Amino acid sequence: MLFSLRELVQWLGFAQFEIFIHILALLVFTVLLAIKVDGLVSDLGWWNVFIPFFVADGLSTYFTAIVTVRLFQDGEKRQAVLRLFWILTILSLKFVFEMLLCQKLVEQTKGLWFGLIMAPVFILLQLLMIRACRVN
Amino acid sequence: MRMSLAQRVLLTWLFSLLFLIMLVLKLDEKAPWNWFIIFIPIWIFDTILIVMLIVKMAGRCKSGYDPRNGAQNMKKKSWYLTAMLLKLAFCLALCARLEKFTNMLLCLVFIPLWILLIGGLIELGYNVFYVRRD
Repeated sequence: MLFSLRELVQWLGFAQFEIFIHILALLVFTVLLAIKVDGLVSDLGWWNVFIPFFVADGLSTYFTAIVTVRLFQDGEKRQAVLRLFWILTILSLKFVFEMLLCQKLVEQTKGLWFGLIMAPVFILLQLLMIRACRVN
Repeated sequence: MRMSLAQRVLLTWLFSLLFLIMLVLKLDEKAPWNWFIIFIPIWIFDTILIVMLIVKMAGRCKSGYDPRNGAQNMKKKSWYLTAMLLKLAFCLALCARLEKFTNMLLCLVFIPLWILLIGGLIELGYNVFYVRRD
């Protein structure tokens, strides 16, 4: 639409398969969220609702580890290290955001305000902007 | 006229940032605004994309347009337009639900988003599993 798939892969640094996993996780998450909010299943906790995202993060990390090892074997060490650092940074920020949001929804803590929860997303946006300049 | 990658990234980044800032202000109860106002960056961004798509699709009707290989492209553009309208429908339904204009189930609000995500997954899956195997 606005970006072609090739541009997205170039910009985000994720492989097409990883993007597929994350969109699938989003789809399952929205289904679980609707079930939870509509009260269709009574004993569905917030941590269970967020499981698809945690699974997607885990699978993405595993996939990245495999790609890094393969790149190392092919002798492309610089590219392997750069890819590993970038993906791990993105995934950690995403994971922290999910954990904080889940914590907030479970405990409704007043001290944990949404500005704080969104901080990893704001950092992520800045990093994506910097990467976009590099890609260009 | 085609925007460069940098311009498109900047556009997406700017509207995402604006939306997130307004969302945080609303969620932290710092801004007593209506949900439809919070979604203003989304409305503007979607309108820009829809207008761009319609202009591109209308470009086919110009005299002197070479229609070769155009059918596939037109199909893709039609899907993109449908996807944008589905996203718009989801955002409108979500705002209506958050503003308590309607008491519909969240499952109903999510239906356009689910169709959009399934369509996106099919397109992406085709690229990942089918095109690569070819």
